[in-house]
Amino acid sequence: MSNDQPDHPIDISAPKIAPKVDRRSFLKGAATGAAALAVSPVTQAQEPSAYHASFTAPSYQQLQRDTGMVAPPTSGRAVVRPGSDLMVQALKDMGIEFVASNNGSSFEGIQESIANYGSPPNHMPEYITALHEESSVDMANGYAKAEGRPMAAMLHGTLGIQHASMAIFQAYNTGTPMMLIVGRDESFIQAHTADDMAAMCRSFTKWDAQPKTLPECIDALHEAYRQAVTPPTGPTVIVIDMELQKEEARDFVVPPFRPAEIGGVDNATAQDIAKALFNAKNPRLRTGMLRTPEGVQAAVQLAELIGASASTTATGGPMGFPQRHPLCGPGADTNYDYVLGLETDSPDISLQRPAVTSLTAQRDVMGIGFGSLREDYVPAPPGSEPTPQEQNQGQNQGTVLTVDAEASIPLIIAELSKLMTPAGLREIEQRKANHASANRRAFLTDLWAAVEEKKKGWDLSPVSTARIYAELWPLIMNEDWCLASPSNFSGAHHRELWEHNKPYSFLGSQGAGGMGYGLGASTGAALAARGRGRFVVNIQCDGDFNYGPGALWTACHHDLPMLSVMHNNRAWHQEFMFIQYLAGVRGRGTDRGHIGTVLRDPFIDYSKIAQGYGMASEGPIDDPTLLAAALKRGVESVKNGNPYLIDVLTQPR
Amino acid sequence: MRKHVLGTIVLLMCFYATAAAAQLGPVNGDAEAGAQLYYDHGCYACHGFSGYGRKDLNNTGSPWLTNEEIFRAFLRARFDVAPLLPSTDMPNYPVNALSDAMVSDIYAYVRSMPDNRPETADVPALRIILEAAERRQYKP
Repeated sequence: MSNDQPDHPIDISAPKIAPKVDRRSFLKGAATGAAALAVSPVTQAQEPSAYHASFTAPSYQQLQRDTGMVAPPTSGRAVVRPGSDLMVQALKDMGIEFVASNNGSSFEGIQESIANYGSPPNHMPEYITALHEESSVDMANGYAKAEGRPMAAMLHGTLGIQHASMAIFQAYNTGTPMMLIVGRDESFIQAHTADDMAAMCRSFTKWDAQPKTLPECIDALHEAYRQAVTPPTGPTVIVIDMELQKEEARDFVVPPFRPAEIGGVDNATAQDIAKALFNAKNPRLRTGMLRTPEGVQAAVQLAELIGASASTTATGGPMGFPQRHPLCGPGADTNYDYVLGLETDSPDISLQRPAVTSLTAQRDVMGIGFGSLREDYVPAPPGSEPTPQEQNQGQNQGTVLTVDAEASIPLIIAELSKLMTPAGLREIEQRKANHASANRRAFLTDLWAAVEEKKKGWDLSPVSTARIYAELWPLIMNEDWCLASPSNFSGAHHRELWEHNKPYSFLGSQGAGGMGYGLGASTGAALAARGRGRFVVNIQCDGDFNYGPGALWTACHHDLPMLSVMHNNRAWHQEFMFIQYLAGVRGRGTDRGHIGTVLRDPFIDYSKIAQGYGMASEGPIDDPTLLAAALKRGVESVKNGNPYLIDVLTQPR
Repeated sequence: MRKHVLGTIVLLMCFYATAAAAQLGPVNGDAEAGAQLYYDHGCYACHGFSGYGRKDLNNTGSPWLTNEEIFRAFLRARFDVAPLLPSTDMPNYPVNALSDAMVSDIYAYVRSMPDNRPETADVPALRIILEAAERRQYKP
């Protein structure tokens, strides 16, 4: 334990580093920086290195500009209506709230238009400043998971795509809709551009375009949105040349945006399903991850109309059936005589939209092998936890219709409504009452058992992961909350202790199991939460944190309602256990398993890091009796508009 | 080799069957030294710093902890033949990795781990969680 670190909170009422810095303050900061430079050791001038690349090296002028030594070149044309204004107008028309980005000269036209075009400017979309492209795409991921619709991220040419590629890959694996706008400037640094820019991420995106004219570009933006939200949902890419951004649009008018038309089952199938539901004595809805909050609402409406008990994946990911809805649970009778699967399997019939990964074979033009190495690999629905009875039934998979469940539900409801009779309605009401009673009992029984389990190690130091979740829940249960970070590594105790009743209650895992996702995704979820009275919780693994801590600054800069609680076990703990096991299998003992897997010597002070980024923080906390008060301070800070970080030293799992 | 493996399985099964019904054996090692070994060899990775973790050790009634001899056999049995027991991902500890004396100390430490769960009524957070769950109605 590092006892030399402060264990008291910093004064959260003190002004944090705010985006509104006046000239005097800015210059003061600059002077401090200059003084620091003055005492820094003088670095040796670099000898020019031998350069044997196959492409043209950047010219002196190019490098001068890229390093900020010269003003951008003027176009020589008086542009009154730049093309990028129209691109931003298209984004406005589609309802894109945010564009997250780390600066890049290849999209400076669009960036300038976001800043200055429209009334008010920098609104719908608002420019979100990210410190790394991976963070910006993770933000888009978190936002879309919470809202069920895309935001955009801008990437600077070849560099931006490569920086962002891991985050794109994660989004691809969860089928998260998002628009990736890639700037392209072939007249600038050669290494930053490519003929087919999107090729680098084509294997793990759904759709891309590189338009040649301004009208094509607007069409491409519209189509990118439609493609992103239409099953199979996923990230889409639009590569936009600098010339198009700076082009004089003259009298070109942005055509109206035509939303995506997402088809469901045909009428005959809807009738068949409605009849089967109506005739069943004990119908069941197995619900997976719907697409949008409206889809969740439709699933609830269907369950209520027919009086079916429903399963949920809400404890495992977003857009699930509300966990404490009276019909959610095993129900009064687990011998279901008709089971309708909505985005999950069923022994009878299930409606499941295709996964974007089903496109990999045709999109993987480079033959990298994504998705083809393991032909038997089928991603599990997020958080799918069928009852034991359903697991048995799962052995006997029924008919699977590859069709969007969300678009199908209204048709089924319409057909079902035609079948209703007074006697049928009475039966349904009785069934609903029975289910509600049984589900309540089941929930409370499970909760009591969970509490008994979570008490283990309650008073231990370092703090048990269960205690973090247990102490936090009473503080947020009456808030409109969203747990945005993955939770498996921190014990996922919310699954048993918290109530997941909103489409965004829990946003699930990384997608491809990659680290570096949690903080960026939570920041994106906090973008969605800001202005909606919502509160984002980020239980932040330390290993994951260190890939992209800069998102803390973004959260401060944009006043995002985010509470981060460090699950600081001072290790990449999963790998620690893997190495131990392998060493054990080889009979070499486990006393050197820490090499390369732990974060000690020195310990990392996350509270200080947060403060450096301008975020109120405290910790490290290793005394469990101090935890509740710290969490309370954190919750109050976030409710007052100040994101907060609490560093908690935890048990490994 | 095959004979050795089968023999080990039979030995462990016998131990297990005997242990399931047996009283806890004596503790011979030094628990304090065991605590250091427990840390140095990373036992906490799976079992937590104090015995609560992915695999609990505290007062679990595990037959492998019945006595020192069984505990040692469990650690040793899979040396160089793992995973002999596919139901567990416990590493193997040959004598050159953990001596008998070290095993004895670790065993002493594990046996000293208390089952220190508090009463629910004494924990405000847990009490609130249960009370609220009883009281709260679903709101969309």
